[in-house]
Amino acid sequence: MDTLAHTATGSPAAMPAMAPPQLDLELRGIRKRYGDFTAVDGVSLKIRKGQFVCLLGPSGCGKTTTLRCVAGLEEPDDGGILIGGREVTKDPPWERDIAMMFQDFALFPHMSVAKNVGFGLEMLKKPKAQIAERVQQVLKSFEIASLADRKPGSLSGGQRQRVALARAMITEPRILLLDEPIGALDYSLRETVMLELKLLQQRTGISFIWVTHDQNEAFSLGDLVVVMNHARIEQQGAPEDILQRPATAFVASFVQGNNVFRGRVVQAADGLLRVETAAGSFLVPGSAQAIGSEVSFSVRAENITDLTGEHHLNQLTARCTTVEYFGSVRRHIFERPDGELLKYDQFGAYAARIAAGQVAVLGWRPQDTVLHTGAAG
Amino acid sequence: MSTIRVRSAASYWLAVPAAIWMLGVVVVPILLLGWVSLWGGRSFSPASPLTFDNYTKFFANKTYLQLVLTTVTHTVGLMAVTGVIGYAIAYFMTMKVRHSAWRLVLFLAFVVPFWTSALIRGIAWVPFLGVNGVINQALMFTGATHSPIEAFLYSRFGISMAQASLYTMMAAGPVIYMLNSIAPQLREAAMTLKAPPLVVFWRIVLPLTLPGVVIGQVLVFLNVMADFATVATVGGNKHAMLPNLVLLFYEGSQHRAASVVAVLLMACMLIGVVAAMKVVDIRRLGAER
Amino acid sequence: MRLGWKLRSNLVGWVLGILTVAFLAYQWLPILTLGLLSFAGPTGGTTFPMNGVSFHWYEELWQASVMNDFKPPLLRSSLLAAACALTTIVLSVMAAQAMRGKFRGNSAFFYLMLLGIMAPGILVGFGFAIMMRLLGVELSWNTTTFLVHVSWTLPFGFLTMLAVFNRFDSRIEEAALTLGASRITTFRRITLPLILPGVIGAGLFGFSLSYDEYPRSMFTTGPDQTLPLAVMGQLDRQLTPEIYAIGTTTTVFSLIAVLLCTSALWAMRRSTSYRKT
Repeated sequence: MDTLAHTATGSPAAMPAMAPPQLDLELRGIRKRYGDFTAVDGVSLKIRKGQFVCLLGPSGCGKTTTLRCVAGLEEPDDGGILIGGREVTKDPPWERDIAMMFQDFALFPHMSVAKNVGFGLEMLKKPKAQIAERVQQVLKSFEIASLADRKPGSLSGGQRQRVALARAMITEPRILLLDEPIGALDYSLRETVMLELKLLQQRTGISFIWVTHDQNEAFSLGDLVVVMNHARIEQQGAPEDILQRPATAFVASFVQGNNVFRGRVVQAADGLLRVETAAGSFLVPGSAQAIGSEVSFSVRAENITDLTGEHHLNQLTARCTTVEYFGSVRRHIFERPDGELLKYDQFGAYAARIAAGQVAVLGWRPQDTVLHTGAAG
Repeated sequence: MSTIRVRSAASYWLAVPAAIWMLGVVVVPILLLGWVSLWGGRSFSPASPLTFDNYTKFFANKTYLQLVLTTVTHTVGLMAVTGVIGYAIAYFMTMKVRHSAWRLVLFLAFVVPFWTSALIRGIAWVPFLGVNGVINQALMFTGATHSPIEAFLYSRFGISMAQASLYTMMAAGPVIYMLNSIAPQLREAAMTLKAPPLVVFWRIVLPLTLPGVVIGQVLVFLNVMADFATVATVGGNKHAMLPNLVLLFYEGSQHRAASVVAVLLMACMLIGVVAAMKVVDIRRLGAER
Repeated sequence: MRLGWKLRSNLVGWVLGILTVAFLAYQWLPILTLGLLSFAGPTGGTTFPMNGVSFHWYEELWQASVMNDFKPPLLRSSLLAAACALTTIVLSVMAAQAMRGKFRGNSAFFYLMLLGIMAPGILVGFGFAIMMRLLGVELSWNTTTFLVHVSWTLPFGFLTMLAVFNRFDSRIEEAALTLGASRITTFRRITLPLILPGVIGAGLFGFSLSYDEYPRSMFTTGPDQTLPLAVMGQLDRQLTPEIYAIGTTTTVFSLIAVLLCTSALWAMRRSTSYRKT
């Protein structure tokens, strides 16, 4: 894959600190409706050169439509799209500096692997000899040179994925769009492929926009993770931001390992709010919320402690229903007083302190809770 | 496992009645025609000596040779016309009609006439094409022409018009099927690889629908080659194609000559089908997708 | 601002759409004109003007003389078509079931059936007539014509049943077999009810194809003619709106038959799929 490295014009870190960051993609409030259904509702996004961006969300949240608008396969009803600073909102796909990888790879079944990979260069009207040479190079670097004359129908899933990637990368686009690119692969292959793609992206400096519903993919790959729900962006930021500081109740509940509470502010003092919920009354850091307002907050499963014999400002009593063991984490599921589930993670291979069926007192520090400040979900 | 055991005697015997029926009514009679076409002598009997006289007599007649040529060129012309129109209709119905309800309505509107008699549909063209026919009346009413055009009824042109209406959907049907089996992502992938729509059509859509085009062309070819009824109704007695010659010789009790024409007709059709099979392996349809 | 490419693509759609609608009109107009002209007045000719609107030509048809009496041919064609439909149903279900058994030579058998569709009717009819002549068999609409018609309708029924069995989930049969039913019981109680829509479709093919068949009847029918032969004979003698009347009548018959069968199929498919969920 080294042949693609020369396209890198410098990693984001190497750019002079003074210059304004060059944007590979900018979305300005794009909107797309299908009849009564709003697929994308005012999405704005800025992607710097060489960023790995993951659009994360449940199915039907608008992430794929957003990607298709960037590709030009859909025309937004409203808003603007800029690629590399140039307005392309009305440009057709074949005039945009992008390439796209489709979920089922969309290889042309009637063409050989070499023809598939060379298609993009052929469309750019490159001389035949040059195309053949470049295709050989790229096939070699993707370790699929032996497949050159095979038809896609005879390839395995992993091989198809490589061919599709080679076909998309060969034209050295400014942005590579990936629509659930490893969703069609076997589970055993996914981790290897993810690592390869991450390395490829870092080496080439091409911006990747990766659409997925799988948060493991998003958090392990993305420099920037954009969480979408109901046609809107709920939160965007670095993976740690989204994991540690979910902005909305939706993000908190969509991301694994959060315990979400909803309630009403009853008291405020010294930067702390007392929130009355169906599961009890808890202290949460915050000051901007008026007394009587509805709020939601979350606490991560690993920040909860077992309070047997101790005392905490935030605590509740619950019955443990199941204990799941993942090797490094022991997850306890409790039934909260309000009927919801409470997750409590214990790290390390210690012996279980709480067994299923047992009642325990659990607690957490106010500073470990996150008050959701984004739009209420 | 199912209600029939694989390679069982039962499966064999279940196929026997249909096989005997088809052999006895289709295969044997056609082979018989080949035999009869070689009969010499004066009497029409299996005892006749075998000779190529009937063929030499047929090929010695320039009119008949001309007729073979006319039939083939007429058929090829019709294949071209129905192929292009049929493809356009198929493309519209699969790619451009978004609502499935509309697609169904269009499909029914095209298919329903197939359940009615082709003979009646051929006859329906007679009041249309005549000197006082609907087309001429319309042309004269709009002032496109002052005197009626006689070229419609009892002409090759009129025959072609009627046959185009009868057989275009045969060309379109298999294309519709193949177009439906192309995943939309293939066209989109080509577009993101910098292919404008015309190139997408030429490089992706057309090659993938080629088997459908060929099958449609074979259907039109077989039907037009054998269609003597439309030629007789719309073309009157002035025009004939090869199959009409079979009828003509039969009515003149020249059974051996009729057999010669039948064998030639069958040979033309076999050549056509084999040529088509060379282009597209029909048995491998649907593989690799 | 430039034209969006989707809009340009829609423009192409409109052009193709106009072509499609134009062709649809081209296909339907003659049939509709035929229907319209069949209601011409008594002095009406075979083209416009109609000289009034009447049932005159239908009355002519009803009170026809021996020469152009369409009622006996109509009866014959209907009986023949019904017989062909039944035979097609039985033989094509058997043949398709046999194909599921993958017997030795099943692909040759498949091509034999295809040959029945590809071989031109005029050749099959002519060859069969010669064969009957050599064997000294009298031609008649209810013997020789029947044999030839089934060789035409059977392959269509066979392909229909093949398609039906292709989509058939044999695990349903396996369930019945593991519950202790014999193969024959399973076929009768489980398979047959499920493939019934397809069976009706095969029968519909059989009826319609035989009812409209002309080239295969031409040489094999003998003195008592079927309907298409009678129509063609009338066309040869003289062209009057009467022939439009008979054309309209048979077309309407065909359409009603198709309509009835498709609605029956529809209802049946809905009821079986309802039971499935």
